[in-house]
Amino acid sequence: MLNPSEYFEPLDPADKGDEYVAMESRTFGRDAWERFCGNRRALFGLILLGVIVLAAVIGPLVSPYPYDGMDPLSLSKGPSAAHWFGTDQMGRDELTRVLYGARISLMIGFVATAVNVVIGIVYGGIAGYVGGRVDNVMMRVMDVIQSVPAMIYMILIMLLLGSNVYSVMIGICVNGWVNMARVVRGQIVTLREREFAVAAFVLGVSRKRILFKHLMINTMGPIIVTATLMVPQAIFNEAFLSFIGIGISAPQASLGTLAQDAKMLLAKYPMQMVYPVLVICLVIFALNFIGEGLEEALNPKGRS
Amino acid sequence: MMEPVIRVEHLNKRFRVKGKPFEQKKYVNAVSDVSFSIGKGETLGIVGESGCGKSTLGRTILKIHEPDGGKIYFEGEDITAYSYRQMHPLRRRMQMIFQDPYASLNPRFTVGEMIEEPMEVYHLYEKQERAERVQQLMQTVGLKPDHIRRYPHEFSGGQRQRIGIARTLALDPDFIVCDEPFSALDVSIQAQIINLLEKIQDEKKISYIVVAHDLNAVRHISHNIGVMYLGHLVEIGPAPLVYGEPLHPYTQALISAIPAADPDAAGMMNRIILTGEVPSPIDVPSGCPFCTRCKYCTDKCRERMPELKDVGGRKVACVRY
Amino acid sequence: MDALHRELLKVENLSVDFATKQGTVHAVRNISFQINTREIIGIVGESGSGKSVSMLAVMNLLADNASVTGGSIRFDGKELSTAGLSTRSERRAHEKMMMDIRGRDIGMVFQDPMTYLNPVLKIGLQLTEGIRKHRSCSKAEARERAIRLLGEVGISNPEKRLNQYPYEFSGGMRQRIIIAAALACDPRLLIADEPTTALDVTIQAQILSLIERLVKGMSSSALLITHDLGVVAELCDKIVIMYGGEIVERGTVREIFNETKHPYTMGLLNSIGKIEEERKPLGFIPGTPPNLLHVSGGCTFCSRCDRAMKICKEYRPAETVFSEEHSCSCWLYCKDRAQELVEAQERERQGRL
Repeated sequence: MLNPSEYFEPLDPADKGDEYVAMESRTFGRDAWERFCGNRRALFGLILLGVIVLAAVIGPLVSPYPYDGMDPLSLSKGPSAAHWFGTDQMGRDELTRVLYGARISLMIGFVATAVNVVIGIVYGGIAGYVGGRVDNVMMRVMDVIQSVPAMIYMILIMLLLGSNVYSVMIGICVNGWVNMARVVRGQIVTLREREFAVAAFVLGVSRKRILFKHLMINTMGPIIVTATLMVPQAIFNEAFLSFIGIGISAPQASLGTLAQDAKMLLAKYPMQMVYPVLVICLVIFALNFIGEGLEEALNPKGRS
Repeated sequence: MMEPVIRVEHLNKRFRVKGKPFEQKKYVNAVSDVSFSIGKGETLGIVGESGCGKSTLGRTILKIHEPDGGKIYFEGEDITAYSYRQMHPLRRRMQMIFQDPYASLNPRFTVGEMIEEPMEVYHLYEKQERAERVQQLMQTVGLKPDHIRRYPHEFSGGQRQRIGIARTLALDPDFIVCDEPFSALDVSIQAQIINLLEKIQDEKKISYIVVAHDLNAVRHISHNIGVMYLGHLVEIGPAPLVYGEPLHPYTQALISAIPAADPDAAGMMNRIILTGEVPSPIDVPSGCPFCTRCKYCTDKCRERMPELKDVGGRKVACVRY
Repeated sequence: MDALHRELLKVENLSVDFATKQGTVHAVRNISFQINTREIIGIVGESGSGKSVSMLAVMNLLADNASVTGGSIRFDGKELSTAGLSTRSERRAHEKMMMDIRGRDIGMVFQDPMTYLNPVLKIGLQLTEGIRKHRSCSKAEARERAIRLLGEVGISNPEKRLNQYPYEFSGGMRQRIIIAAALACDPRLLIADEPTTALDVTIQAQILSLIERLVKGMSSSALLITHDLGVVAELCDKIVIMYGGEIVERGTVREIFNETKHPYTMGLLNSIGKIEEERKPLGFIPGTPPNLLHVSGGCTFCSRCDRAMKICKEYRPAETVFSEEHSCSCWLYCKDRAQELVEAQERERQGRL
């Protein structure tokens, strides 16, 4: 309580309170994370993906069966206490093979996407930032690359380099980065004109640094979203290649090869087909949910 | 006489306008044949209506845009044709303050990172010293050093403008182009920024070009005033002369249009209200660009653009003098 | 009251809250003012002072997260405030009444004309639409009126101009078109929110003289929201100064400029450089506008005020009346009533706890 005799004494400047600055706000990342968690589908996708990745990494290590160990005594058996998913027509443990296949598929998906992201950012960034004739030429090159269907590249690379994990990855990367480059370029073209980019230029910041530090940090949202949606596409492409028989060759296995192996005996042992296909579906679902959730969470329009 | 910090001679800058295919190329003459010079510690205010090329003028001097003609001298050095690399050491000394403090600060950088970056780019000071200088600069512009890790969106418009000024001062420039530094701010905040810019100028003898359409604020900060109309400098001279007894008919109209914050002033009584609009800058009438709105316009005006002539202590481009 | 100066709009104890993620923002608190016929009133304040929000409340155009929490808005005897409405049908009936009032009785001009003009429709259509909605007249009549209006606001060649799209006009012309649209139905009140802020001074001069001529000529009233004291000095009869969601001072133009009472108003007046003045530091108000999320118990301006006293930080000042029109809320002028005011506010606080 203020003493009435003090009412009209001058207020000490120190008591006036500081100049107002908004409360330390959460960083953009934390804000986005909170919104992401508020999206139930996205969170479900994230947990599902986490479980699958964990199983794919740890599963083959703790499994009592090697992924290529055949047991001639139990061919194409149904599920049992020893073999939870049963065995395949060569007597290999189906669960171990599915987990191992999921590992390869996920690895292909993530590595191919990482490569695509790096190429896309650099290519799209340069095209968008330099602009003018350079941009024009770079865009036309992308048009040419994209005018040939992805499958044809992949099949050609397979023929040249043989059927293995690496050639699948290269095949996916040949034109997978084009979409990313387009997204990045589009963002950079608009950001380049923003005043903070001009400000950085006047302050003597090098063009490389403006592009990769000042501008790129502002495009992270769309890049992350596009990348998340590229992973399931890569996994799907790999599965398709393996399914038509030109992907990864035995005894190595991906989810696609497993499905292909099961094709012969589909009528007799349909479960051998169901397991790998189910895992592919779950992975793709999970990643799509996450991508959608990220898109919402990172879209700054939702910010107040 | 001392070498002026900035001297501009017959500067031209035009922009290509996208037209229909196969049509003759069209240009907007944003800056045409502009000449002036600024001494050390002086301020030149550039006023004019939107689209008159005043912002482009500032940006061309800093070589954000490449000039299409004329010469730019910085402390006697001809920088007109300097390349990106040649400009780099000079950029440290030629800086800019932007209009919109919301757009000119990178939203993903903290205040500290932003103020430190220019020093990092020019390898000024050791790391420890830089950190101290950031704190010092924040205090100079009246920000609390505690807020060093905050992001721009947490600050109000005036505070952001001060962050921008601190960032510019980090390089100890000799010359600053202020592009509409007040127009995005509230009146009470404008005064803060004007005082801050004047204080810095008095301490460090920096030269300013202040580009603005708010004639009151510019008057206060400027020693000299240049009036632009459609890319042309129509009148330039000491501020008291240009404001007190404007000679060019456009300047007269502009000065009389300033609303006086005084109910007892004659106000609208003797105001010159211009009729018509500013002509499109794409096809500026030949001759004096103001002739479409000028009440003194004669045939002579339509023929050719009059040159700047010394009249009564300032320069005017009008056939009447 | 004589017949010429009848009360037209009377706002009493209006309060508006915004619900945001961080909490409730009390954007406007307990403001009251009145506009009579044939008057031009200026509401002056900085961004965030609540000047635009209170006008949107009058027009019932507030955003979804805002609500009028109390007070009344009487326009020509009709209650416009939504504070007392509870049922859905009441609200719907109220909105229907507002649709009739907006455009017909109250015309609006906003800062950015493009928020009001549809970019893909010809301006002729946009002008005649309003006229036909509020006055039952034929297409040809509406068109004729639109042409006359455009001529009145100084747009040459109006017949041809009616068939053009908004992008074919310059900023100043668009603003004049908006004014023409706002005046299309001879409104009794024109509300203009920063009508010239986006425009150049020479165009501003055109627009201001246009508003004055039209308002006085049609014997209607106008409410001008602006931050530019120069504009109000020239155009307005009375001024209301807002700060932090409250009215701090009001009076006739001469009273505000020549007998300034509130320290904030003084600060504002000092911070505009006078043209004749030589270069010397401008008087300025330190600090930044208040944060309305955390309204303190004291005077909102206290933290930036150079004459702040201890009481200012703790208790709200009361309005002191100086003349028929002039009043101001500041502790400097209500010292003699301090004891009773403090006691009343203490009781209020106890009651809230």
